[in-house]
Amino acid sequence: MAQDETINYLNHDRSLKSWLLTKDHKRIGLMYLGAVSLAFLAGGILALLIRLELLTPGETIMGPDAYNQSFTIHAVLMVFVVLIPAIPAALGNFFLPLQLGARDVAFPRLNLFSFYLYLTGAVIVLSALIVGRIDGGWTFYAPYSERVGDSILFVTTGVFVMGFSSILTGLNFIVTVHKMRTPGLTWNRLPLFVWSIYSTAIVQVLATPVIGITMVLLFLERFLSIGIFDPALGGDPVLFQHFFWFYSHPAVYIMILPAFGIISELIGTFSRHRVSGYTFVALSSVAIAFLGFLVWGHHMFVSGQSAVSSVVFSLLTYLIGIPTGVKVLNWVTTMYRGSISFKTPMIYALIFLFTFSIGGFSGVMVGVLGIDIHLHDTYFIVAHFHYVMMGGTVIAMLGGIHYWWPKMTGRMYNETLGKIAAILVFIGFNLTFFPQFIMGSRGMPRRYYDYLPEFQFMHELSTYGSWILGAALFMILGYMMASLINGKKAPSNPWGALTLEWTHAAALPHPHNFLATPIVVRGPYDYHLAREMFELVPSGDGQHGEVIPGVEASEPDGRPEEA
Amino acid sequence: MSHAEHHIVPIKTLTAVILTLGMLTILTVAASQMDLGSFNVPVAMCIAGIKASLVIAIFMGLRYDNGTNALILAIGLVLAFVFLVFVLLDTNFRGDTSATQSGTIMETEQLAPAQTR
Amino acid sequence: MTSHSAEGHPAHLEHHFVSSEQQFDAAKMGMWLFLVTEILLFSGMFVTYTVFRSWHPEVFAHSAELLDWRMGGINTIVLLASSFTVALAVHFAQKDNMRLVIINLMVTLVFAFLFLVIKYFEYTGKFAHGVFPGAAFDPHGVAGGHNYADYNIPYAAQFFSIYFVMTGIHAFHVIVGIGVIAWITLRVSRGEFSSAYYTPVELTGLYWHLVDIIWIFLFPLLYLI
Repeated sequence: MAQDETINYLNHDRSLKSWLLTKDHKRIGLMYLGAVSLAFLAGGILALLIRLELLTPGETIMGPDAYNQSFTIHAVLMVFVVLIPAIPAALGNFFLPLQLGARDVAFPRLNLFSFYLYLTGAVIVLSALIVGRIDGGWTFYAPYSERVGDSILFVTTGVFVMGFSSILTGLNFIVTVHKMRTPGLTWNRLPLFVWSIYSTAIVQVLATPVIGITMVLLFLERFLSIGIFDPALGGDPVLFQHFFWFYSHPAVYIMILPAFGIISELIGTFSRHRVSGYTFVALSSVAIAFLGFLVWGHHMFVSGQSAVSSVVFSLLTYLIGIPTGVKVLNWVTTMYRGSISFKTPMIYALIFLFTFSIGGFSGVMVGVLGIDIHLHDTYFIVAHFHYVMMGGTVIAMLGGIHYWWPKMTGRMYNETLGKIAAILVFIGFNLTFFPQFIMGSRGMPRRYYDYLPEFQFMHELSTYGSWILGAALFMILGYMMASLINGKKAPSNPWGALTLEWTHAAALPHPHNFLATPIVVRGPYDYHLAREMFELVPSGDGQHGEVIPGVEASEPDGRPEEA
Repeated sequence: MSHAEHHIVPIKTLTAVILTLGMLTILTVAASQMDLGSFNVPVAMCIAGIKASLVIAIFMGLRYDNGTNALILAIGLVLAFVFLVFVLLDTNFRGDTSATQSGTIMETEQLAPAQTR
Repeated sequence: MTSHSAEGHPAHLEHHFVSSEQQFDAAKMGMWLFLVTEILLFSGMFVTYTVFRSWHPEVFAHSAELLDWRMGGINTIVLLASSFTVALAVHFAQKDNMRLVIINLMVTLVFAFLFLVIKYFEYTGKFAHGVFPGAAFDPHGVAGGHNYADYNIPYAAQFFSIYFVMTGIHAFHVIVGIGVIAWITLRVSRGEFSSAYYTPVELTGLYWHLVDIIWIFLFPLLYLI
């Protein structure tokens, strides 16, 4: 217990080399967060430009070619560079081992390697911008992708490389959850964030290899004309869509499952109430992970796939609504009779419940075969997946960043500004995307550069909304950066949460996370147990020598003798 | 933490497996030389499946390993199977809409014109 | 259970693990997960094969005649044998007989090379008669009792494309395996492993067996049926 409390993961070695070659999951997580935020900034600026262009019919600020490129790059950046790694690789990396009471992920070197693979992939994707034009959307459907300019090669190579990064991260996390749990942390005591990251990791490991082989086949088709996808050579373009969506539909769950985990943490913590139906919430993540593999064909209802598979895929799509509904129901009942405190992260959780539910319900709608044929490739779809991806994943990510900001940086942000920004995000987001539901149902096709004058009012609303949303996001960036300079010093457990990263790690965690191996004797949200079980934790650790009720410390060095 | 000692597969078992694998290879070649009609493919796949199971169970030691690794493999195989079956559900039933309905919509509607009014 | 347990901190034990057993289990589980990703990677190709075969069964059956089952069969035996020697290497590593580990790994390398050599002759034999993947497919000439021009039928190009892609990616895995086995052999010869710590030998073995298993399926699918 003699270790110096002032040593933390940020100050124990400040050299650049110690960051670039770090094997510390916390530093890797922060580097991911930085990279993801930069990509989000770039993709977001593109989104603002796209919305500005659509303010009036015809040309507003850019020509049709620039427009096609803008929405393609926006989509590729947001999907592959931002949303897929966002929560698992950034927040997951940082907090999964902490919540498990582990000193690191199972394979720290692999973790660093996977970060550099991600960076390499991202750079390759971005170099496509310099090499030439990419258009045609993020799905690279064959045969178009086999015939357009060479810059598509950079995008597909980048996706291939980032796919490996995603696989390795997922593999690492699965093994970490299985093998690195601290004594007493049984499966039914795992925080729900861990469950969701674990389910995500299953999807990452099982789905991503298929996009890998798809990209390889696309390459071979382009260079050797092997004739698998290109109808002119005797291939089948719908087969490409199967390959693509076998990955890309489960990839949607790579994006949204970790968001579920964050929301569970937020609602449990800020309602000071045991998350009701813990087992159901936990297992519904796993259920979604597996069901997510059975529904990819609902992206292909109008592709010419067989009617029987359309019907099967449509039916299976409804099933996804069950575990998702179980989650939303349990979140709401957790708040019932809870003692809710409306801190900024909780506001994001409430926004999530609203926006994600709209996204989810509209998802069931477009899963209906007959309705989808009408709505396919309209703004209704655009609105639906933005409500899920932005109203779900990004909102949860923002909530998670606010929630864990004190643990990551040791500083508190300005709570008032936080709340104002959250409300502005909510208003801006809905103003941007709700009109798109209406436009879409009236027949405004997605990805179009120009539109009929009757859609202009809705497009205007949407563009004004994007300005509010953009301003709110820049505001968040501003006060978060300011908190690094003059933010209040954070206590080790500002929210009174019960998971290990709050109760057992210092305000800024030690390089090896814990000074003593935590021993877990209760569930992650057992707020109903005697108050002393969590409130007697002075600075969040047994490092002062006293044995905390419900929390025991093993040997100082934390390495029990080998059996 | 430490549980059962690592199982050491005896050389006798390993040798028996490789001999069986060799024999099965000869069998599958022999079976392919005969005309089994529609059974050609299932027989070949069955033999390949037995060979692969032997390699997995004994050479890779999954039989002696903990159940989690077996579960991982099983999930992977199930997913690969799902991939195959669902793609075939499309590719082998293409154009089934036109097969179930002869004639254009106009023609079929003329068969029951009164019901729509 | 392990010989080093009395020392407390064996050199191979990384700081974030509690015990060697935990480290070994974690590594092995990681390897199995990796193998599953390999299975799903190959599943894409198996799906392609099945789809095109079910669309054009007679073309596939006809085109497969051009592939020499003798060479494929020999290669099957060679790979199976290499799998056996890798299993033996792990066996001897567990028994702390490092000399036999090295010998078995070397024999494995020889088999792996032999596989590639046979594959090379198969490929060049096909190339010589214009059997290329994709657009360059232009069979001609007579060899082994086959008039190659007879095989220039629609969708035969697809069969050979799939053949070259599947066996090519498999061969790529063989080449990677050769590199890994050579590296592990070097590490064994430097005395880095013992019966207390042989995780990399075991993991390499697992990888190599998977390469073998893929071939067990490729052989009948491409050469026999």
